[in-house]
Amino acid sequence: MTALITLEGVNKHYGDYHALRDIDLTINEGEFFSLLGPSGCGKTTLLRTIAGFESVSSGLVAIGGKDMAGVPANLRPTNMVFQSYAIFPHLTVAENVAFGLRKRGDLNKAAKQTLVEDALDMVGLDGYGKRAAHALSGGQRQRVALARALILKPKVLLLDEPLSALDKKMREQMQVELMRLQRHVGITFILVTHDQEEALVMSDRIAVMFEGRIGQLADAETLYRRPRNRQVAEFIGKMNFLHADVQAVRDAIDLEVQGLGRLQITAEQSPELRDTGPAVVGIRPETLGILFDGETTDRKLVDGVVDEVVYYGDMTYYDVRIQGVEAPLNIAMKNMIGRPVLDVGAATKVIWDERALVLLK
Amino acid sequence: MWQKITSSEKGRGILLISPPFIYALVLMAFPLAAIFLFSFWTQDFMDVDTTFTLNNYREIVEKPIYGALLQRSLYVSACVTLVTVLLAFPVAYFVSFHVRPERKSLWLFLITIPFWTSYLIRVFLWKVILGFNGVINTGLINIGLIDEPLTFILYNVNAVIITLAHAFAPFAILPIFVALEKIDRSLLEASQDLGESKFMTFFRVTLPLAMPGVVAAVLIVFIPTIGDYVTPELMGGAGGKLIANMIQTQFLALNNAPLGAALAIVAMVCVTAISLVFVLLNRRWLKGRS
Repeated sequence: MTALITLEGVNKHYGDYHALRDIDLTINEGEFFSLLGPSGCGKTTLLRTIAGFESVSSGLVAIGGKDMAGVPANLRPTNMVFQSYAIFPHLTVAENVAFGLRKRGDLNKAAKQTLVEDALDMVGLDGYGKRAAHALSGGQRQRVALARALILKPKVLLLDEPLSALDKKMREQMQVELMRLQRHVGITFILVTHDQEEALVMSDRIAVMFEGRIGQLADAETLYRRPRNRQVAEFIGKMNFLHADVQAVRDAIDLEVQGLGRLQITAEQSPELRDTGPAVVGIRPETLGILFDGETTDRKLVDGVVDEVVYYGDMTYYDVRIQGVEAPLNIAMKNMIGRPVLDVGAATKVIWDERALVLLK
Repeated sequence: MWQKITSSEKGRGILLISPPFIYALVLMAFPLAAIFLFSFWTQDFMDVDTTFTLNNYREIVEKPIYGALLQRSLYVSACVTLVTVLLAFPVAYFVSFHVRPERKSLWLFLITIPFWTSYLIRVFLWKVILGFNGVINTGLINIGLIDEPLTFILYNVNAVIITLAHAFAPFAILPIFVALEKIDRSLLEASQDLGESKFMTFFRVTLPLAMPGVVAAVLIVFIPTIGDYVTPELMGGAGGKLIANMIQTQFLALNNAPLGAALAIVAMVCVTAISLVFVLLNRRWLKGRS
């Protein structure tokens, strides 16, 4: 894997506002990379810095080994799919897609037309070329924006929250299509999103950003299973947090967890923390369980009382109080045959396993 | 009955538009109809002969003075429109793209400053600037660029064009400004992202999208300048009189309202025809957009 984009010590100030803080980042060729974070975390600023719409206050941005300082957006080997799609309303679909081809003097009219048709074909809009751009639906606009960017064969395609304007069904369909498209064209995609599910589904690697910093950079599974700190753990999926006291750190880690008692975890379950003393452990709702009548388990059990029930159809989310813990534990259960939906106040047994714990900084 | 009107959707709609409808009828349709009617009558010394005749129109076609005046009016209006819109565009562009959002209303407010004084006073001010002993001439003589005052800047068509262009500038700036404001700024970034420089982006994105405002500005400036008679009266001298001055003369000095009415109708038809052709030529830019 060769590095395509390198950011070193990138800072961006808007007056007093520090939008990007010491960003170091390497994005590889052919990678599907996501910048994930809450609004205002700097992910869009970072994307616009790569595209050339924002200058950096300090630091280096290099694409393909070339320093991009002073290179305007129109001369960078990047193309962007804007959040609003930015389809030119005065042009037809084909004219929109062909917009960037004007400077390609090596192509005659027929060759350009073939390219446009191929690009429209690739995004599933064959035959739409003559349509007026303002008469398109949200999903179609996005496809036009994709075709318009990809026809120029950029080294990097930048996507700024491309799915946020679509409804849920359309969004899921486009997620799959974007992945398929990325594998097909083989160029680097950088996706900005605030939707953690979107990032987890599509990306090879994800950088989670908070307040202008990268909180964690990892693949989807590591990010979900081994978040480095509480901020990342809270942002990605649901997580129960329990106070803990780390007693010994050797090859394994001994700790006392509120409500669960003394237990031992592997060093791999603590991505950052190596010190003894007070700490927090996280545990995902789906790694906990409720022991229903007639079921058995060889895992550990703790008594609890159902505090809240949220029924989702395929799943039921229970909040269960256990002895010695202030906040109830959130537990996700599949609604399988023979499992009734419990009532609030029901006494129950919570199944847990120390292998599912992660020790957070 | 009343309840029946106010209860139905249609009834309420009619009720809602009736005040402006009556207003439009009384203040626009009736006067226009009266002018139209007058143009087919003839003046018989102190009375108006109400037998139907096309004599007024025949006279307008046959006597070359009317055609010449109309032609000059159209020429002056075209020049004023061109100058005004060309000068208004950069101003509108600057306010829309380079002024901070919170300052924009201040700038628009400043643009309307010329309207704070009466139109007549503004025309006289141009006289002071352009006149024989005016600011421009004395200034140029004092710095030694010219020996005797320039005469081509007052009491002719040029003076009329300069004065009108200044008077109508805000009318041209505002619609262009609104059109520029409506342009989604991400479209400009998209154009640059697709490889175009800022210069080419202006011609491929900004200008086409601002065209509805430009068309509106052209119409707003062109249509009323044809009918203006104050500026040509004061600034035009003998050679700078326009069709509107002739209409005024017919109605007041010559007491020939029917001929004046016919001239007004002819001028109106010309303006309408030219405006329609102009809009049709630009319909590509005026198509509906989301």
